[in-house]
Amino acid sequence: MRNREINNFLSRSILTTLLVITSILTTLLVITLSLSSSSITHAAVHTNNWAVLVCTSRFWFNYRHMANTLSLYRTVKRLGIPDERIILMLADDMACNARNKYPAQVFNNENHRLNLYGDNVEVDYRGYEVTVENFLRVLTGRHENAVPRSKRLLSDEGSHILLYMTGHGGDEFLKFQDSEELQSHDLADAVKQMKEKRRFKELLIMVDTCQAATLFSQLQSPGVLAIGSSMKGENSYSHHLDSDVGVSVVDRFTFYTLAFFERLNMYDNASLSSLFSSFNPNLLMSTAYYRTDLYQEQVEKVPVTNFFGSVMKTIHTDSAYRATSGKDSSRVKYDVTSGQSDDVDARRMTSSDPEKQVDHPDIKLVKGGGCPHADWWYAIVEKFQGIKNGDIIVNYGLVGMLTLVAVSTWQSS
Amino acid sequence: MSRFLSISILLLFVLYVSSESAGEEEFTEELLFRPLPDRKVLSHFHFESRAPPTNSYGHHHRLFPKAIYQLVHKYRIKQMELSFTQGRWNYDSWGGFDPIASSNAKPPGVELWAVFDVPPDQVDASWKNLTHTLSGLFCASINFLESSTAYSAPDWSFRSLSGNLRYGSLPREAVCTENLTPWLKLLPCRDKSGLSSLMNRPSIYSGFYHSQRLHLTSDEFDPVALNGIVLEQTLTIVLQPDSLETHPSFSGSRKLQPSWSMSSLFGKTVDGKCALAKSSNVYVQLEGSLVYNMKNTWNSIDSYEGDSNFGFTVSPDRMMKEINSVDKEGYSIIYGFSINNDHSSKPFDLGFWWKLPVTWSCVKAPLRVSRFLMGSGNEKGAIALSLQSTEWSQSLLKADNDGEKCNLRVDVFQLVPWYIKVYYHTTKIYVDGASQSLGDIIEKMSVSPSEDKVSPGVMEMILRLPCDMKSASLTLEFDKGFLHIDEYPPDANQGFDIPSAIISYPDFQTRLQYKLDTTSIKSPMVSKMQERRTILSYTEVLLVPLTTPDFSMPYNVITITCTVFALYFGSLLNALRRRVGEEERLRKSKDKSTGKLRLLLSKLSAKLRGKPWEPPSSTPPSSSSKFISTKVVIKIILIAAIAFGWQYYDG
Repeated sequence: MRNREINNFLSRSILTTLLVITSILTTLLVITLSLSSSSITHAAVHTNNWAVLVCTSRFWFNYRHMANTLSLYRTVKRLGIPDERIILMLADDMACNARNKYPAQVFNNENHRLNLYGDNVEVDYRGYEVTVENFLRVLTGRHENAVPRSKRLLSDEGSHILLYMTGHGGDEFLKFQDSEELQSHDLADAVKQMKEKRRFKELLIMVDTCQAATLFSQLQSPGVLAIGSSMKGENSYSHHLDSDVGVSVVDRFTFYTLAFFERLNMYDNASLSSLFSSFNPNLLMSTAYYRTDLYQEQVEKVPVTNFFGSVMKTIHTDSAYRATSGKDSSRVKYDVTSGQSDDVDARRMTSSDPEKQVDHPDIKLVKGGGCPHADWWYAIVEKFQGIKNGDIIVNYGLVGMLTLVAVSTWQSS
Repeated sequence: MSRFLSISILLLFVLYVSSESAGEEEFTEELLFRPLPDRKVLSHFHFESRAPPTNSYGHHHRLFPKAIYQLVHKYRIKQMELSFTQGRWNYDSWGGFDPIASSNAKPPGVELWAVFDVPPDQVDASWKNLTHTLSGLFCASINFLESSTAYSAPDWSFRSLSGNLRYGSLPREAVCTENLTPWLKLLPCRDKSGLSSLMNRPSIYSGFYHSQRLHLTSDEFDPVALNGIVLEQTLTIVLQPDSLETHPSFSGSRKLQPSWSMSSLFGKTVDGKCALAKSSNVYVQLEGSLVYNMKNTWNSIDSYEGDSNFGFTVSPDRMMKEINSVDKEGYSIIYGFSINNDHSSKPFDLGFWWKLPVTWSCVKAPLRVSRFLMGSGNEKGAIALSLQSTEWSQSLLKADNDGEKCNLRVDVFQLVPWYIKVYYHTTKIYVDGASQSLGDIIEKMSVSPSEDKVSPGVMEMILRLPCDMKSASLTLEFDKGFLHIDEYPPDANQGFDIPSAIISYPDFQTRLQYKLDTTSIKSPMVSKMQERRTILSYTEVLLVPLTTPDFSMPYNVITITCTVFALYFGSLLNALRRRVGEEERLRKSKDKSTGKLRLLLSKLSAKLRGKPWEPPSSTPPSSSSKFISTKVVIKIILIAAIAFGWQYYDG
């Protein structure tokens, strides 16, 4: 009898200790999870804008595709994306084509008011270089070593990328130079790889071809938004013919997209949904298609300049070169490495003052270097600092304690 | 007094030092106009930037483009030339003997050659990286020259530069604004001020010929560097002035040559010189034969006079006459105009107009060269190089060495892509229509035959042609190869290009020597003209049609073969695996089971209907059901066929 009681007691005590340990573990887990998630959101701030503009059609009668691409090129340049962040691919030379009556000029309207070719065009891939292989290399960043920087898409996890493609397409494919096809699977795989390599934060794919919507059917990566000029089974049509140039000069979808952007300047806040609603199926003679299910944000609230412009967030720092302000950083480093466990209170004191934290950009520098243990400790401390309503945590703790006590008493009774 | 003296001495010393230190960066801009006999005007821009050697001057430059400096240092380039050309230089009417024709007449598309100062085994890697860098720098697909099938290493015939030289050309490369803009960005004033502000893209690209060239020479890696890096950028354009006759047309059969001005040629004027340029000059050059022809109507040409054959809207600052002219008849004249910043109130717009009609012809190259294809069909053909003498070369040669049997040396350098398989043993030479033995004519020949998908065929040759010949031709037979289906370009049906051959005449040196008066500023362009230089000319690019496959053929073949295989193996397996007896038994047992089920069902329905159940006769229903099933099957097949047909023809 006695033996049994002892046994019983032993088993209960083991159970309670187990419970305590698991509860501690779970709280730790929760903290680490929240930390990791916060680091991700922290890293993926929108930092820069890139544009990849592709005209996939060769031959003179496809003049309008080059005019489409150049119009978009002009628009994104006007809205602030610099040339070094635009990858322009033109499959043929229309401006200096022997058939062009206006040498070194390309027009997208028969009024010839605007020369799209201008004096400062930077074409990165042209002629025979515009192939499916090179296109996928640009997207995924898998180049030969010798390829110069101007031909690479050097985006990062904070980049917003605009990918514009025009040419001749069909059900789930887009023709390149009338000899190769880019299939919807290829595009989806490339985008997936980009996502895995953290080459973009948000990607807007805009396609002006026949049956453009079918090109997006395989996409599955988050953060991707797609606009196509036509649904499956529909054609995309050209807008008008310039009898001086002798060919059609612009496609309908691009024409009305440009009409939307001509009214905007760099600082406008027109949303993506207003761009979507500006497409009138009667004028387009096709139904514009938007795929928004992979995109987390609400398109009503996202300005078009997130993709078509370059909105730079300036981060204020006290000194131009943080690394060289050696005096302060060394001091802070000393603080962190020396006080790993014993002057936690002092640390709390210093970091509890929000103003002080802002004034110390050097602390961030220390975060990168130093021993990992100190980093962890610092991160946890910062995390606690970040929690605004400490009452809730206290309440949760009380409830947890109550349940623990209840369980242990139930076990021991 | 002593103080003043010391100050003046100090000043003099400072002046002396500043003039002595040649190690300064320099930039000069110059523009030359020359009227051409076929009513066109040649405009030739010449920009020169100099950077002193690094070991005396350092790495930082005020004027010299950083991109080029880094390029020279990274790939250790001794000499490099890159040219973008559209159109073909007309050797007959625009001249083939003067310095501009031999250094700025370039083959269409892109031509690149470079000499590296690296060990021989690293040259190819440097070349590859250089082509990629240049393609990024100049927005062109120069990187296609990286593949070993596209470039070669000429031994001795090309510009007598040997060693680490690589040469490649892309005949079909498009040349447009995007190539000119980065080229202009290398200039310290870009196209914002100075002579480069004339470069209005539409007027440049509407010309008959334009060639944009970049030439680099560096002795940075020599033990004793003297010159540093010299970057020479030239743009040569042949434009047709608007034939709007502002002056009254001359009566008679001879038409007045068109007048022109900067604003009529380019639609722009020069507002002032580039502030960073050491000198900024505009020249108008009149050829020797033109001056000679004008002599008939105009006697005193020693000084520019208002009532001569022609007039300028701005009076020239200086005049230079050619001395030691090769052309015995006349001597060429250069009129110089300096652009200073005091022009800024009034834009500088040089105009040139004719008062009397005049006709002349340019000095031609010793031989008129053309290259063409012979043969028909998609299997084989022949390349022919035809050399025709010009009257001028004959007279010159006779004058040079009379008496002894003279001959004319011609160097030929030709690069042929691997899919044109040239048989060099079939070389035949005809002089004045008669076949000649190769040993008599060919002094030296080195050939490296092409290797499939590895290297192009290179032919270097020295010909000794008799002076008194009228025409000579050289033929080579070739077979057309087959490319892999992936290697065809998207517009394969257009044909494939064979790059221009280079013909040079080492016996002749082009040189225009001008008597420089003391007041004239040292001009890099004029001094360039005074350099001895071998006469070069490029032949036409050949367009060879190759057999092109039906590019959708692989898909057709795959689908048809798969269908045939499926039918064959399907039926074979069916025949082999089928066991008739087993099937029969299976069918019977099935019949039985279905019979039982049917019995049960009929019983159930009878019960539901409340009728007495009567057992159905076994044989008739089974036969009827069989009949129905075949009917249904036929119907289904019919509908499927219709649907398939509909889908196939309509979809």
